[in-house]
Amino acid sequence: MKQFGKILKFESKNYFTNKVFVGVTLFLVLAIAVVMFFPRFSKASQTEEPDTPEALPTMLIVSDTQEHAQALEASFAAAFPSYHVVLAESGVEEVKEKITSGEVECAFVIESLTSYTYYVNNLSMYDSNTLTADTLMQKLYQVNAMMGSGMTAQEAETAISIQIENKTENLGKNQIQNFFYTYVMIFALYMVILLYGQMVATNVATEKSSRAMELLITSAKPVSMMFGKVIASCIAGLIQLVAIFGTALVCFNLNKEYWAGNPIVASIFDMPVDLFLYMLVFFILGFFIYAFMYGAIGSTASKLEDINTGVMPITLLFVAAFLIVMFSMSAGEVDTLVMKICSFIPFTSPMAMFTRLAMSTVPAYEVILSIVILIGSAVGIGILAAKIYRVGVLLYGTSPKISSILKALKKA
Amino acid sequence: MKLEMKNIRKSFGEKQVLQGISLTAESGKALGLLGRNGAGKTTSIRILMDVFPADSGEVLFDGKRVSNGTVQFGYLPEERGLYPKKKIFDQLIYFAELKGMSHKHAAAAIDHWLDRLGMMEYRNKRLDTLSKGNQQKIQLITALAHDPQVVILDEPFSGLDPVNAKLLKDVVKEEIAKGKIVLFSSHQMSYIEEFCDSIAILNKGEIVLSGDLNTIKRNYPRNRLVVQSQQQREIKAAFGTACTQWENGSLMITLKSPEEKQAVMKRLTEQFDIDELKVFEPSLNDIFVEYAGAQN
Repeated sequence: MKQFGKILKFESKNYFTNKVFVGVTLFLVLAIAVVMFFPRFSKASQTEEPDTPEALPTMLIVSDTQEHAQALEASFAAAFPSYHVVLAESGVEEVKEKITSGEVECAFVIESLTSYTYYVNNLSMYDSNTLTADTLMQKLYQVNAMMGSGMTAQEAETAISIQIENKTENLGKNQIQNFFYTYVMIFALYMVILLYGQMVATNVATEKSSRAMELLITSAKPVSMMFGKVIASCIAGLIQLVAIFGTALVCFNLNKEYWAGNPIVASIFDMPVDLFLYMLVFFILGFFIYAFMYGAIGSTASKLEDINTGVMPITLLFVAAFLIVMFSMSAGEVDTLVMKICSFIPFTSPMAMFTRLAMSTVPAYEVILSIVILIGSAVGIGILAAKIYRVGVLLYGTSPKISSILKALKKA
Repeated sequence: MKLEMKNIRKSFGEKQVLQGISLTAESGKALGLLGRNGAGKTTSIRILMDVFPADSGEVLFDGKRVSNGTVQFGYLPEERGLYPKKKIFDQLIYFAELKGMSHKHAAAAIDHWLDRLGMMEYRNKRLDTLSKGNQQKIQLITALAHDPQVVILDEPFSGLDPVNAKLLKDVVKEEIAKGKIVLFSSHQMSYIEEFCDSIAILNKGEIVLSGDLNTIKRNYPRNRLVVQSQQQREIKAAFGTACTQWENGSLMITLKSPEEKQAVMKRLTEQFDIDELKVFEPSLNDIFVEYAGAQN
């Protein structure tokens, strides 16, 4: 135990005195702070230039029927606040010229209340002007029709634009609200496990290739070495995450009023405490399982170049788990059979169970079962990894075959 | 203190690496572990240090089984290497602490050794800024700083200049004088002859020769004489085929039996002008080649 403490201290110190690690963390902290302060700055710069009609692009309205011209202009002006709407007297050819010359952005040539032609120079992918115009003209037509059958203009207007009152009483989880922070957390878990897993593998392989291992293996127990390394990297990863998310949270609260109009960002910082604790548990256990496997692989590599091929199966397994969870999340169906199975398999459960907890309602026994399986697997894989480590670090030359490692394990 | 390996067997896969190794090392003496490359020296050392268990047999320290840290080992592996990018003092402290020393004791011991080996000026430097020989001296500190009961040195002299080799010799002699068990493995026979009272020669996983070095040498048949003389031609003529040219311009006379020794020596000194005359004793090198090379 004492030995383990020394190893943990030494390995942690390696991270915190590593210039790259410190530099990257500081950079990310700074970057997230800038992002969180962005609305404040952009708002400050926006107020300096008031909206003048001249600054807006021009939209021409050409109406063949004079009787609706005024009503059309008023309605279009109200429906397109980002355009300077002008009623044109000119003919279609002239309008076309103005558009191609760039003087005017777009034009509606209205033949009747039920048909029009939309002129634009380059039709953008996101151009929804015709949709707006459709709704607007439908409404005008309906009002007209109702007025024709004896209603006053006001009665017709009220009848058409009646608002329906609705309320949603949410008894379980709100997927829309939880989606974004679940997404962010799963992504953070994914990044940290991949990055730090690789680091553990490289760390072990470096000790092996520099032959420091010859001395380490005779000085310390493999289990202490393995757990010391993995827990140290877990601490480093957590501290990095805390630094980044902590900065984000503090900066968000400083700029809360500027983010008020953005429900997505606001929802990310509105994570319930119990979910946060679940996240920590799944994060740490998931991290352990993968880091142990990465460490074991690192110990079987003789050269640093061999690591990348060695860790590929683990990385693929992890990416597959990530994709399953991400697809289920995007589809909004987190309680499918696949997700249920995945939330008990230790390699996928950290992400799958956390997603289900965040976006659905999971029975308590399932959560407990999943965590118990995860803890058992983490310890088991840790001990197995330490055994592979003891066998692996003394094998030089070509990377050993899986079968020969298994044989050696039986004896160890 | 006495360290014993009894009938140790070990195989990796199909390959039987050790086939019943037994040897004994005592405190205040150095045991030379010899063998060609791949003979099983490193495997024996690892089993001794409990890096992995033997398939059968036992390792005893003062008659008790060696288990989990009951015996302190100091090890200088043949494959050297520490953390190249770390400060020397920091990593020495780490290794000493892993061996169970407190930070305070470790720091004192390391400073003592850095001073003893003339490495104090490199205390806060990174390891990879040092020359190979100096790195080796740093590695030696990891083997000695925690004052182990058993010191295992695998090729300690390779890569050292004569001045550093002298320094290391003195250090090894001090350790032996302190009453430690010293296990010494080297291919440089002159060093083994200098330090080791007893030897064990490993060949293909078996001990083919072991025991007190002087006894081994004396047990060789004393039927050869080495003669240094200006009258080589005359001596050759007198002894015929029994006389052959030997190293360093001397002659070797092979006797029909060791009993003839006195008579032949008398005859030589009476009939010829002899500069030097002695009974041939094989060097360790000769013994090693004979035993380790024999079955190949």
